[in-house]
Amino acid sequence: MFSIASVATMTACIFLFGVLFSVIMNVDSVRRDIEEKVGVTVFFVEGTSEERIAEIGEEIRKIDHVTEVTYTSADEAWENYKAEHFASNPSLAEGFKENPLANSSSYTVLVDKIERQKAVVDAIGKIDGVRQINQSSAAVQNLAGFNRIFTGVSIAIIVVLLVVSAILIANAVSMGVEARSKEISIMKLIGATDTFVRAPFVVEGLILGLIGTVLPLTLLYIVYNGLIRGLLQRLGFMGRIGDVLTGAGHVFAVLAPIGLILGLGIGLIGARITLKRHLDV
Amino acid sequence: MIDLDRVSKQYEHGQNAVDEISLHVDKGEFVFVVGDSGSGKSTMIRLLLKEIEPTAGMITVNGRLLNTMRHRQVPKYRRKIGIVFQDFRLLEEMNVYDNVAFAMHAVEAPGRLIRERVPQVLHEVGLSEKYRSLPRQLSGGEQQRVAIARAIVNNPQILLADEPTGNLDPRNAYEIMKLIEEINLRGTTVLVVTHNKEIVNQFQKRVIMMRKGAIARDVEEGGYIEA
Repeated sequence: MFSIASVATMTACIFLFGVLFSVIMNVDSVRRDIEEKVGVTVFFVEGTSEERIAEIGEEIRKIDHVTEVTYTSADEAWENYKAEHFASNPSLAEGFKENPLANSSSYTVLVDKIERQKAVVDAIGKIDGVRQINQSSAAVQNLAGFNRIFTGVSIAIIVVLLVVSAILIANAVSMGVEARSKEISIMKLIGATDTFVRAPFVVEGLILGLIGTVLPLTLLYIVYNGLIRGLLQRLGFMGRIGDVLTGAGHVFAVLAPIGLILGLGIGLIGARITLKRHLDV
Repeated sequence: MIDLDRVSKQYEHGQNAVDEISLHVDKGEFVFVVGDSGSGKSTMIRLLLKEIEPTAGMITVNGRLLNTMRHRQVPKYRRKIGIVFQDFRLLEEMNVYDNVAFAMHAVEAPGRLIRERVPQVLHEVGLSEKYRSLPRQLSGGEQQRVAIARAIVNNPQILLADEPTGNLDPRNAYEIMKLIEEINLRGTTVLVVTHNKEIVNQFQKRVIMMRKGAIARDVEEGGYIEA
């Protein structure tokens, strides 16, 4: 009875752990994806020479957490703008005799972590010759904040569930130990070693841990795979959705070993805790 | 073989179960330890098994000082000692053969040796025919024979018996004691804790009388004399 209860709790625990882990991985993947795309755009004071702009580029590169600095000249900016906004009607753009973005050469700066963006922006703001800095990181920062809170809450839930599982497995093993306490005491009195006495109970704990891990992981793999396939089919038109979502193989390459270590560890610890007092004879 | 030097054992509630007892038992000797309930007889057995630690004094068995023996060395030490209890302590779901074989499995004896030795010991205790029986199918005397077979199957140097005839009728009690005497005659040192006067008087062995945790009398080839 206790064995079923402990395996069921363990299954629920590892399943929930897997769900939370998958969500965290995917939210993080989306965040990284946005992070990679969202940069800071730096504009210069009117009349800044090409040499000074190059120096500013070097100074930005030296700031901590800056991963990439890309220069866009005023002409390139105008070409990009035309391609983006006048693609369907190029004749409209021809109305402009001069480059309306003549003063819009810029650097696009990427940082390694979105949380660092504010510090980087502050540092760039102090560079002589910088007129304006555009950043559009609010959404990404919100996402990062959400992921931090979600990860914290998930870890707390998982720790509580793992402790409950360990206690239940210890209880399940304890029932077995109590039922066989006579056998254990005889074994000890006739010279059986602790390892010999402990072995069957440890194996029992490991088996409970293994079942309680393999069952939810298999279930989760099927559900997750189905969910990803479903999303790709329904949202495939969004093009990049497949790149942003984390594939089942990738999630389970990390989740399976962690789950197994947790499951077997809980089984082992549960069994050892229970047996300790019976072996001190 | 067994040396107790001013050994005391005080339990947590403060009572001295054994109080400064000194005792020497030679190799191959047969000793009865007698006394009323609470006189310290069973505590002595538990001390010799290193199930409990003395509060004071030194215990030496087979030249080994038990006081300094580490927990991991205890199993090897216990393999030299056979133990028989009043309530037999057989495993109910195992048959006679398996109950005896269990003692050999516990000390990780090879299977070949177990298959050879168990029938031999069952023959010695007169249970060859009943090797398939479960404990509940046996009489009290037969169950104690199984317990004795289990105690001697690993060829111990010492046999400790705690009230081995306590649950038996006089005829079975006598037969069990005869069996233990035969084991002693083959060279095993035997220490029997009992309060069965008839048995002690019949066998005329060394008798150590305990009272209130102390040795009140120690006589060679004596009877059960009230202290």
